Amino acid sequence: MDFLNLLARLADLDTTPALPAAAPRRAALGRLGQAGTALLPALLTGLSRPAAATPQNTKTRLDALHLALQLELLENEFYSRALGLVAGFSAVPFSATEKTAIQTIQQHEAQHVALFQRLITDSGSSLDPVVRYDFTGSKNGAQPALYPDVQTNPDTFLQVAQLLEDAGVRAYKGQVEFLQSDDYLLEAAVRTHSTEARHASHIRTMRRQRGATVKSWISASDAAITTPGSVPAKVYEGEDNITQYVTIGTSLVQVPFDSTLPINVGTPPLTPTQVLAKVAEAFDEPLNAQTATALLQLFTY
Amino acid sequence: MSNIKQNAGDEAEFAKPLYTPIKRRSFFMYAGATAGATALLLSGCDDDKDEVVPAGTISLGSGDVGVLNYAYALEQLEAAFYAQVKDTPATDFKTNELAYFTQVAAHEAIHRDFFKAAINRDAPGKIIPSLQASDLNFSSVDFTKRDSVLAAAKTFEDLGVAAYNGAGKYLKTPAYLVIAGQIVSVEARHAAYVRDLISNGSFADDSIIDSMGLDKAMEPVDVIAAAQPFIKVKLDATSVGK
Repeated sequence: MDFLNLLARLADLDTTPALPAAAPRRAALGRLGQAGTALLPALLTGLSRPAAATPQNTKTRLDALHLALQLELLENEFYSRALGLVAGFSAVPFSATEKTAIQTIQQHEAQHVALFQRLITDSGSSLDPVVRYDFTGSKNGAQPALYPDVQTNPDTFLQVAQLLEDAGVRAYKGQVEFLQSDDYLLEAAVRTHSTEARHASHIRTMRRQRGATVKSWISASDAAITTPGSVPAKVYEGEDNITQYVTIGTSLVQVPFDSTLPINVGTPPLTPTQVLAKVAEAFDEPLNAQTATALLQLFTY
Repeated sequence: MSNIKQNAGDEAEFAKPLYTPIKRRSFFMYAGATAGATALLLSGCDDDKDEVVPAGTISLGSGDVGVLNYAYALEQLEAAFYAQVKDTPATDFKTNELAYFTQVAAHEAIHRDFFKAAINRDAPGKIIPSLQASDLNFSSVDFTKRDSVLAAAKTFEDLGVAAYNGAGKYLKTPAYLVIAGQIVSVEARHAAYVRDLISNGSFADDSIIDSMGLDKAMEPVDVIAAAQPFIKVKLDATSVGK
């Protein structure tokens, strides 16, 4: 694909003053659609998804959008059921305060669904087939349920919510580099990402208010909510990472927090081990598409 | 291109800055390679890079290192703020709040030191000077009062999130983009935590999340303008990412 030429043509489209001034968002998105249609053959060469049904490690912008939509659809359904908005599912018995917070989160997830559906269809692609969800993790009875009382017990529901939100935050981080070539899509993704991080923080606060040992950020001191070796456990694998890297030329060089940097804010001073525990908290880690998809599949059938 | 500015917020702002100024700019940067005439047409409008920094002003620099310096400046501000919160805790902090802010202080200090290390290793000689205590101005914060501390913390955390959200597009090195993502979500967790302390349930209210469910994004110059009252030395972000 002649990428530079494509961009040049998009730039030309961008300056065409033919669009009405009203409804800027619609106009802007319509413009994306316009660009998508005009340049579709060229664009799709670069964006088409592999036909294989196995989970891919995302490679294209479109793959990233589809993964984001899958996440958002699942989250929206999860919270909608908890609020009694889905036929056949009675609301989880929350307190009034908890219900309000879940409503706030659900509304955001619904907005994210609408956004990513529009971005996908505007790019000329079609939406994935609708899937069915089972948040007990039993795949509609095909395997033992991991969370049998997710729909009736607020503590279980919030555990799964934490799992999904923390996973979502990590999954978006794993996708940003595939969206880097498009400022608009990148910014949509990063702004969705930090919204999800706020959700994750609040769900954790809700659990703490109900007596769980958990911080608002991912910490080694959180009481474990997953079993080692299980699919949900992958959500927290690698979060204890205490190394970050910087690039020099093309090589990655580790930043040695414990020895060379002046981080030490404790009184008395923190031990190197304690400093490293803080380092793990201070950075959320990315999750690749394969792992994110594995978690999604646990709750779909 | 005098219209290159944005202060993201509502829905219209989201569509507008993304589609017109930024998009156009980045596309023309690419387009320059193949569509020379177009680039030439616009080159006269783009005077950002030639701007002279007045004496006494610290330029954050351009390109990726400009973005890193920008983040470094903000993390220094946050780290200094929370260090002060920790050293002179509000007399009316509730149970566990000091312990939590001590942890947040550690996170911010780590972010600050990370950027210092990253810039020194990746772009030797291009790091901005460290902001000393005498360079900062927290006189508007009453550190003895919980309400004042929480309000300031909310300001800093929301600003930090919006700053990272708006700066991602200026990073050209994928590794930096990922690192920025690794940090911004922790900042967003802090922001939600502090907001919930002020008013439980305000973790992601309409003042910060727009009707598309998107968190705020702000341009470097707007973020620095918002942060400038807390920093005595003048920072210039006009060439960040450019």
